[in-house]
Amino acid sequence: MPSVFGGGMLANDYLRFRDDLAGKGIIFSFTGYVTESILTALGEALRHKMRLDDADPQVTRKVFSVFVEQVQNIIRYSADREEQGAAEPLALSSGMVTVGRDEGRFFVVCGNTVTPADARKLEARLSELARMDRDELRKYYKTKLREPPEEDSKGASIGLIEIARRASEPIEFDFLELDAQRVFFCLKAYI
Amino acid sequence: MTMDAINQQATDRTPRVLFDPQAGRFEMSGESYPEDAASFFGPIMEQLSAFVAEDQGPALHVALEMAYFNSSSAKALMNMFQMLEDAAERGREITVDWYYQAGDDTMEEFGEDFSEDFECAEFRLNERDDASTSI
Repeated sequence: MPSVFGGGMLANDYLRFRDDLAGKGIIFSFTGYVTESILTALGEALRHKMRLDDADPQVTRKVFSVFVEQVQNIIRYSADREEQGAAEPLALSSGMVTVGRDEGRFFVVCGNTVTPADARKLEARLSELARMDRDELRKYYKTKLREPPEEDSKGASIGLIEIARRASEPIEFDFLELDAQRVFFCLKAYI
Repeated sequence: MTMDAINQQATDRTPRVLFDPQAGRFEMSGESYPEDAASFFGPIMEQLSAFVAEDQGPALHVALEMAYFNSSSAKALMNMFQMLEDAAERGREITVDWYYQAGDDTMEEFGEDFSEDFECAEFRLNERDDASTSI
């Protein structure tokens, strides 16, 4: 006897979508406008899930830290941003953040559009970080903490070093030009 | 000069902060990852720097037990430590206790790295095991 729930287009489409994510080891993926409250809520869900899975507390702390820095980078830097009127000085930044597990290791990926000028700066910074070992990253972080903040940096130069320090191998990054004004920027860190 | 006390409960993204100018005691504990760390730490920095502004004055004891902070909070902490070390150099008695949970390598490393910037103020690293009470 056929099941009452045969499944139409809707369930089939979204099941495939869900299975595709699960197949890639993705614990959760968020795409859209990110705010500080979304960061807090997703961060709490992430830590809760990792506690339930008996993840090493040290690893949980590192994954959380990489997650926070990546989401805060999207909030600060995404070029997909809707500035609101002067009455409410709030900007909504759009991007994606994905947390998953691959052969026992956690990864955090973020993606957002940036301006070509920011893309060039990011590429230079990330290439520099990729060449550093653990001790060099630790020293570099400290040097940056002592320095006055760079113009227009809003603190992200240290955030990228934090991500590189918590990652268990050099962070991967990639850029794809969308049009003359926008570049899609992607960053992946394994912990 | 009268000095306002600070007694702020922790929020989702900001730590518990306690400043008792009468007792010369400043405490901060928990997690710190506000997007705008400067606006969270700004008023705290103002209070603390006013307290140590004079070359002479009561001792200040700072106790910090952070479980996690983001990079912009790290920057704010560094600014705070530089201000405290400057005051100690001018003759104020300042002690900083940095507490971290046993096994939390990240907070231990931060403590070690911050300690390098103190010469005149005393900076102590304290490991806690789960059984001991927090500040």
